[in-house]
Amino acid sequence: MNAWIAISPLLLLVVGGLLTMLVDAFSKEGKGEVATVTAATLFLAAGVSFAALLNGQDPQDVPEIFGAYLATDRLGLFFDVAIGLGGGLSALLAGGYLREHGLERGEFYILLLFSAFGAMVLARSTDMLTLFVGLETMSIGVYALAGFRRGSPRSIESALKYYLLGSFAAAILLFGAALIYAGTAHTDFAGIGAAVEGGHADVKLVLFGLLLVLVGLAFKVSAVPFHMWTPDVYEGAPTPATTFMSVVVKAAAFAVFVRVVITAFGDEMSSSSAGGWPPVLAGLAVVTMVYGNLAAIAQNSVKRMLAYSSIAHAGYILVGLAASSVVGQRAISAVLFYLMAYTVSNVLAFGSLILMGSRGREAVSFDDLAGVGRRHPLAALPFIIAVLTLMGFPPTAGFIGKYYVFSSAVEAGGGFIWLAVLGVLASAVGAYYYLRILVAMFMKDPIPGEPVAVPMRSGSVVAALVISGLAVMQMGLMPGDMLDLAVAAAEQLFAG
Amino acid sequence: MSESLLTTLLTIPAIGALVVLFLPRQWPNAVRRVSVGFMLLTFAVSLLLIPEVAEYLQEPMARLLGSDILIPTYAGGEMHYVQQSVWVESLGISYKVGIDGISLWLVLLTTLLTPIALYGSWTSIGTKVKEYAAAFLLLEVGMLGAFFALDLFLFYVFWELMLVPMYFIIGIWGGKDRVYAAVKFFLYTMVGSLLMLVAILYVVGSYEDVTGHYTFDLIALYDLVLPFEDQLLLFSAFALAFMIKVPMFPFHTWLPDAHVQAPTGGSVILAAVLLKLGTYGFLRFAMPLFPLASQYLGPSIAILGLIGIVYGAYCAWVQRDVKKLVAYSSVSHMGFIALGIFAMTPHGLNGALIQMVNHGVSTGALFLLVGVIYERRHTRDIDAFGGLAKVMPWYTAVFVLVAMSSIGLPGTNGFIGEFLIMAGAFFSNRGFIGYGPWGTIFTLVAATGVILAAIYMLHVTLKMFWGPLSKKENMGLPDLTRREWTALAPLILFIFWIGWSPATFLDRSEPAIVQFLADFDAKWESSSTDDSLRLLHPAPAAPAAEVEAAVEVPAADDSLAALVANPVPSREVVR
Repeated sequence: MNAWIAISPLLLLVVGGLLTMLVDAFSKEGKGEVATVTAATLFLAAGVSFAALLNGQDPQDVPEIFGAYLATDRLGLFFDVAIGLGGGLSALLAGGYLREHGLERGEFYILLLFSAFGAMVLARSTDMLTLFVGLETMSIGVYALAGFRRGSPRSIESALKYYLLGSFAAAILLFGAALIYAGTAHTDFAGIGAAVEGGHADVKLVLFGLLLVLVGLAFKVSAVPFHMWTPDVYEGAPTPATTFMSVVVKAAAFAVFVRVVITAFGDEMSSSSAGGWPPVLAGLAVVTMVYGNLAAIAQNSVKRMLAYSSIAHAGYILVGLAASSVVGQRAISAVLFYLMAYTVSNVLAFGSLILMGSRGREAVSFDDLAGVGRRHPLAALPFIIAVLTLMGFPPTAGFIGKYYVFSSAVEAGGGFIWLAVLGVLASAVGAYYYLRILVAMFMKDPIPGEPVAVPMRSGSVVAALVISGLAVMQMGLMPGDMLDLAVAAAEQLFAG
Repeated sequence: MSESLLTTLLTIPAIGALVVLFLPRQWPNAVRRVSVGFMLLTFAVSLLLIPEVAEYLQEPMARLLGSDILIPTYAGGEMHYVQQSVWVESLGISYKVGIDGISLWLVLLTTLLTPIALYGSWTSIGTKVKEYAAAFLLLEVGMLGAFFALDLFLFYVFWELMLVPMYFIIGIWGGKDRVYAAVKFFLYTMVGSLLMLVAILYVVGSYEDVTGHYTFDLIALYDLVLPFEDQLLLFSAFALAFMIKVPMFPFHTWLPDAHVQAPTGGSVILAAVLLKLGTYGFLRFAMPLFPLASQYLGPSIAILGLIGIVYGAYCAWVQRDVKKLVAYSSVSHMGFIALGIFAMTPHGLNGALIQMVNHGVSTGALFLLVGVIYERRHTRDIDAFGGLAKVMPWYTAVFVLVAMSSIGLPGTNGFIGEFLIMAGAFFSNRGFIGYGPWGTIFTLVAATGVILAAIYMLHVTLKMFWGPLSKKENMGLPDLTRREWTALAPLILFIFWIGWSPATFLDRSEPAIVQFLADFDAKWESSSTDDSLRLLHPAPAAPAAEVEAAVEVPAADDSLAALVANPVPSREVVR
């Protein structure tokens, strides 16, 4: 019975997905029931996981009926919360966005639900095979979501680009998994870890395999230099799909990233600062932070800017991940907290952007936002909070997240301190382009003659903004509870 | 009740901001009155921080609150009104506030100047009055919080929090290039403070290495001894943040832009309070946490201060825009404060503290006066004026008076501060300032700053107020209005009060300074022999007893000032 509770979020999504199909078949066009059902399903999944986390289920009680394939641990539950929350909020955003821009079709939500299911499987996978299956389940749905605006060449381009490059990355990852299997005779992370630690592995083969797996994962979290697809795809996809990609896909990919480096390659050789994955991740973090932040400056489209900003955030998270080789649990809990904070923050940012467009005219560039803050101060409020939290400004979730990640890097000592210094300098650069949003909204006037942005009126978008905005402030002002959950999840990962 | 006084002071403006935001947009005058009302209430409550006032109001307050109120003494340099409650337990972050003789006058300066700044620029803001007033109230929360904070994390939060309202004040209600100035202001400060954040993390991490638990409690962290190499880097990170804020040469370039573009009220607050947080930060954080490094690098910062004094004065001399002139004079005056701090003598520090208040009063008044003339003529070009004394006699009188105080004429506040600072530098025995003729050289260079200040200030008064009234736009300019008088009067009062009776103010800060130096020396002594990572007082011993034993002040310094200005109470009073 316990095991069913432990994976109940997954089951909920499957049942909810089937239900949504039915609701979609029987409801009239543009009624919004499908969006509501989808969001409710995802929020329910998040709520169930959250309750399980709070109750502090002991992992030993859970029979591993899924063998070594699917984890039923706190880390999995933690990411269920992040994915359920991110997915549910994206569905709410879609509920307003799709109707406003004449794209209201039920498939969107069904794809979103099943993709979120894939993300949860990915986040819980403890085996190369489940990893791949989860990854593909998630990705195929997202490919379709990216191309959802069928009439728009950009959307199609976005989907095609994402699909081709994504498949390529998945193939590399699979190849890496195969090499690791060849080197260790294991596909499950624990088995791989035991084999490498015990010296039964062909080290060269395994290390090369690990490198390929890291490349595949780096693609999914859009770390430089595997980020090329991100700006185009984020820009071309409908904004709720972009939101979904930027939070759910990233969270799930980082979840499995954590599992791979800690469970499968947590041994001393692979995680030594001289060789193995820490220097690779540190290097990735450096180029990702620097490039992401610098490239974001040059953008004229807010959506593209947010795409680069999400690349930069992947860089900060990688700092924490690299530091986990030294301070382990503390760094992992920082990464977990950061991902949760990033999820609500990014939803808030994209949601604010969605709110600013109406009647078939989306707000995309900085010029579109000119003067909006003066005309509609209340509608601009979520954007202010979003900018502050993405910038890492107190007292928001983004600040605590950044603080926690960098503090774990400082604690790791040595070269990681310089990684943290570089990180804060990069985020100072980040302040510049985030401020451009505030400059546009409050300090610029619209170009005379150009149509001005009018915020849309949509209950579900407002609901998403209120939820994510409150979460951002809650995690900024009272971070204790979420920190405890993250620490407990990381603790269990290292204990088990 | 009385221990929550500081929290009350933070809450009043915060509530004010909320109330103002819910007032109808159509009533700009109501918005102005309500917001100034909240600021005045904050000021009134903050007066309770002064012992005499607290004593005087003891009975009525006790009747009002139902419990006795605390009478602060500021006698032993200890913290008063300390309030602490856990914020994030697992990280050792707490909400801890307190006040001592160092922050007392800066807090009162803040609560006094905020209403004046808003009231003085009453009419110059015509659009979005509501948001403007709310930004001011939030700014006040941030500034007060930064002065109160005794927890590094809390301090960082308030320190950053001040940025946002100021950014909007400059960026929305500023002049032509306001966006450039606002972004520059924001980014400069942000870069500095982020590096400071990393340094904070390192300090807290080191504390955890020693004790096994995290804390951001400043008082606990004071006890931490760090290796010299670490101190150098950490002090540099803190110093960078504070030097940008002060701003000191060569990090000052954001200041003229920000001042020139900011609306009058914003300039007043920026000059009067925000800059002080930089110098305050040195005293409260950088120096006590890293004594070895501050003694080692302090003279270099003092030299930057000297460069700032002379360079700022020269730049001020050649300005055609009177607001820019005042902005550069700020750079010059803040250089004095940095010099006083890093002379690290009782006089230097006392002078620096009183000069912080002086600069707030005088420069605040100057910016108000510049705002007055700008509102009438919509130009700040010095050449556009001339002979104003004939049409605006009162304005001229006040301007000249404030200019004299800014120069440091005896009898005004500026004299006290600059004199003490120079005396402090002259008798300094720290680092190489105290070596050979360096103290004298430092003092001489600083003195040229005073002369230059006289030159540029007299230059601008001459050009603006005397000579023929040649421009016909200047013919019918009205003199100071009642509102402008109301705003300026308290500042004039303080110019003379501090000038004639500095002891009123110095008596409160002196014990804190003595204690500060004693603690600094004790920690310096101990860590200069053994700079390994450890706690100064390993066992949780009673800190009071050790502090007592450690009090030791260089004797040579007292006699001169006692002879000349007698602003420093004698040692018996201190004890």
